[in-house]
Amino acid sequence: MDIFTLITTFSTRFLGIFIEAVSFLLLGTLISGLIEAFVTNDDIVKLIPRNPIAATLVGSMLGFLFPVCECGVVPVTRRLYQKGLPVSVGITFLLAAPVMNPIVLASTYAAFGFGPILVGRYVISWVMAVSIGLLFNFQHQPQRVIRPEAMALIGGGSSEAIVIPSQRMTLLPGLKKAITLAGEEFFEMGRFLIVGSLLAALMQTLIPQEALRALANNPVNSVLVMAGLAFVLSLCSTVDAFLALSFARTFTTGSILTFLTFGPMVDIKTTSMYMGMFRRRTVFYLVVLPFLISVLAGIWLNLNVKF
Amino acid sequence: MVRTRQWLQASLLLFTGLYFLDNMLSGRIYFYINERFGWLSWMSTILFLTLGIFRITDLLKTRVEHSHEAHEHDIHEHTEHAHAGHTHASAPSWLKLGIVSIPLLMGLIIPSKPLGAAAVKTSGLSTQFSSQGQQTSQFNVSPADRNVLDWVRAFNSSSGMNEFTGQPADLIGFVYRDIRFDGKPQFMIARFAISCCVADASALGVIVQTADAAKLTQDSWVHVKGKFVVQSVDQHDTPVLIAESVEQTTQPTHPYLYP
Repeated sequence: MDIFTLITTFSTRFLGIFIEAVSFLLLGTLISGLIEAFVTNDDIVKLIPRNPIAATLVGSMLGFLFPVCECGVVPVTRRLYQKGLPVSVGITFLLAAPVMNPIVLASTYAAFGFGPILVGRYVISWVMAVSIGLLFNFQHQPQRVIRPEAMALIGGGSSEAIVIPSQRMTLLPGLKKAITLAGEEFFEMGRFLIVGSLLAALMQTLIPQEALRALANNPVNSVLVMAGLAFVLSLCSTVDAFLALSFARTFTTGSILTFLTFGPMVDIKTTSMYMGMFRRRTVFYLVVLPFLISVLAGIWLNLNVKF
Repeated sequence: MVRTRQWLQASLLLFTGLYFLDNMLSGRIYFYINERFGWLSWMSTILFLTLGIFRITDLLKTRVEHSHEAHEHDIHEHTEHAHAGHTHASAPSWLKLGIVSIPLLMGLIIPSKPLGAAAVKTSGLSTQFSSQGQQTSQFNVSPADRNVLDWVRAFNSSSGMNEFTGQPADLIGFVYRDIRFDGKPQFMIARFAISCCVADASALGVIVQTADAAKLTQDSWVHVKGKFVVQSVDQHDTPVLIAESVEQTTQPTHPYLYP
């Protein structure tokens, strides 16, 4: 294959991933801007219960209030942290929202109908997001979880998490501000999306998928392959169900569930975006913990449940 | 310097919006995404253009006010500054500007082409396509109207291949030949199927038999008419389309098929 064709193929794959994902990133930045303008810290305080466990449970359902996929959830979470959202609730929201939202519910239903895949996807994702969020409850210092740059936004440059008091804006100035902020945030988060899309396109252009198909029937290997595929393909959670459908016949059900639960939380492009917001160690946990839970759930289902 | 970067930021937003608009109007957007998600790209186009135009009017306004040094305006601006926080004072770093310009530069410099034969090598070419949840759809399509995807689905959900013997087919796709076809009067008429965007593209193909197979250029688009016979390919009964005519054709407006 000559280099020119290789470059064109790479470019088409990159632009395809970018064009599809950027719509959701733009929506996410716009929602984030609207939150900044129209949601006050008091609203967040009122919304989130004092009890950390109850707060985490609320966090897992916030996706129904702010419907965003995994490209949009990062800017929204960052904004909610600025509004004083507790760290653990933010982690749960970050992991849960890409699946626990009305758009993804509709697309998963459209692809698979009501059945083990739909139920499994929601139960496993919810358990993953809540349990990992609860683990972060043990960390009371936000500055050990979130990067200093992102903290600067939260705490006005100091290492203490001082929340800037905010006022609800009137409609027109509020909208104006939301648009201004969205434009800024696009440059903040967009670069991670672009780097992630470049990597995903590179992998897809260089690694043959046929080699993976040979492992489709093995209850353990199929799960690992689908987890790897979810990571590499970096699909948007609003559409990944349609792709999973094309694998559903060849691959085991457990592995499809791993694909649909691990992919929305962790892939090349979200990992890249997490790096811009969290400390290295936090990113490590945010990648490894969902991987372990999702893969173990997939393998366990393959070995113990007959679909 | 901050001013330069602010202008670059504003123009990047505007020009990315214009690049999207060009893709939408020329139909090249369908080299990248499923038609079903076209409305999402319209939304991106509008958002990019809005963000860009908004920034530019903002920059123009501040320049006018600075040059006039109108006191009233200054006071007005200052209160607005307090509201908008740091928005006017800051601009993205050169690195951020560089990275965010990558999609625009790649889109402008590298000729836009849909996935073709070269991409088959890593996507794998399959004569099978899973159709769970949509099992009945291909049977509503009469054999003469079926495309490559419909046929591959029909082969897949059929228990015996002999039912396809003698059925006529009329297909458009690109030419794909690899070493398996060396010395054989055969090629594959192939298409990519995409659910969302090219990230999930999978190549599908039907084997075509024609004396001229070796003369066809890889990746060129052809229109094939013929009838199926069942042959043994790699010890599997496989329907092979015996071509009655093979014509060169132009690439269709929608190069991909949507399952």
